[in-house]
Amino acid sequence: MDDPATVGKGCEQVAQMSLSIDIRRKDFGPAIVLEKIAFTAKLGERIALLGPSGVGKSTLLSLIAGLDTDYDGTITSAGRTAMIFQAPRLLPWRSLIQNLLIAVPDATEQEARAALDEVGLRDAADQHPEKVSLGMQRRAALARALLAKPNLLLMDEPLVSLDVEAAKAMRALLLKTLNLTGATALIATHDRREALFLADRVLEIGGAPATLIRDRATGLPDGEQRNADMIETLHKEWFE
Amino acid sequence: MNKPAYFWPILSFAALIAIWQVAALIAASLTLPGPSETFHAMREEIEFGYFSHLLATLARVAAAFLIAMAIGSAIGVWLGMNAAADRFFGGWVILFLNLPALVTIILCYVWFGLTEAAAVTAVAVNKIPNVAATVREGAKALSTDLAEMAQVYRLSWPAKMRHVVLPQLAPFFAAAARNGLALVWKIVLVVELLGRPNGVGFKIHEHFQLFNVAAILAYAIGFIIVVQIIEWTILQPWERAANRWRR
Repeated sequence: MDDPATVGKGCEQVAQMSLSIDIRRKDFGPAIVLEKIAFTAKLGERIALLGPSGVGKSTLLSLIAGLDTDYDGTITSAGRTAMIFQAPRLLPWRSLIQNLLIAVPDATEQEARAALDEVGLRDAADQHPEKVSLGMQRRAALARALLAKPNLLLMDEPLVSLDVEAAKAMRALLLKTLNLTGATALIATHDRREALFLADRVLEIGGAPATLIRDRATGLPDGEQRNADMIETLHKEWFE
Repeated sequence: MNKPAYFWPILSFAALIAIWQVAALIAASLTLPGPSETFHAMREEIEFGYFSHLLATLARVAAAFLIAMAIGSAIGVWLGMNAAADRFFGGWVILFLNLPALVTIILCYVWFGLTEAAAVTAVAVNKIPNVAATVREGAKALSTDLAEMAQVYRLSWPAKMRHVVLPQLAPFFAAAARNGLALVWKIVLVVELLGRPNGVGFKIHEHFQLFNVAAILAYAIGFIIVVQIIEWTILQPWERAANRWRR
């Protein structure tokens, strides 16, 4: 129904569109990083931004998050944006629960504790970030983003530098929590299987300057019902 | 055998006093009184307002220290976060850092008269560039990662200051305070010597004219003890509390 080419052109369609991106060019001085990247996202859609490391995925996310406004083009997003950075970026001098409440001051302590409970950190709530593992810090950063009740959730390599077990647990947690929030999600990753596991739609970006190469829907069943076999089959079909 | 934590400090302190005593015995001169003469002089001075002079000096130290920390920190944060301002005013900081304390003191007395305000201002002006230079280094090294996090979650300005910026600057404030206290009290003595009717510096000047070295040492030691107590009871516990989150 929603042909991406027409979404955003009429007011009635804007209502169900949560993100519209049209970047003509982004450079850092003489180095052009991104060029001609345009797409729109429907409310609740889960999109993977797939591309090799260093291609400009983080740059694209920081443009969307509004951290960098120096680019040529337009980005329109509706409602609240939360971001999960590649590093957890928690305040090391505040406990996990305080970290959540500082980032989302209109949440009650009870809600913040519930958010930590959701990611399995109920008992670590009063610990300081440096005293828990990286996996736990990642989960706390996820809880912080969830507590913000975002309409748009940006994730930069959410599973990178976790060991296999921690990455698997984090992936399951991401699928579960994404279902709970119903937020539009944009997940930057260099890992194809991870992209297939987490997203309904995969945008491949590549080249120098990076452009949008491909835009495909995975057509897989809802997140938590996906299994490794489906992922392998699709991976073979798409990338081999 | 396990020794208690205060074993080595006490032993080293006792050794220092012993060396002092031996040196005084060898010199056998009025210009180098030993610990017992100094202690005796202290007891005598107590009858002539020893504590009120210590207190007057302490009040000046506190006022100058607080003013210098507040103004110096504000300048330091500003210069550290604003590269253009740092390029322009950075040289001024160096200039004031190298301005001799004596010159500031004399200028303040000449311009503002021999008043309490002039005395405190003179000391504060000496200390401000010091604090600014230290805090500026901290503000330059503020984490971009955390600043971006604060921006994404739209932290209010006070929240950002309290939870993101100031905790990163705390070690630099502590360093500035530590160096500052020692520097400030030394300059306060000069200020008192040149133009105040009370305080440790005034008394040292008075006893200098009487060649009463024991009394001079008595005042110096009294104030060293006061500064050490501030270090133990305020600065060190504060530093420990500020570093509790570290692994």
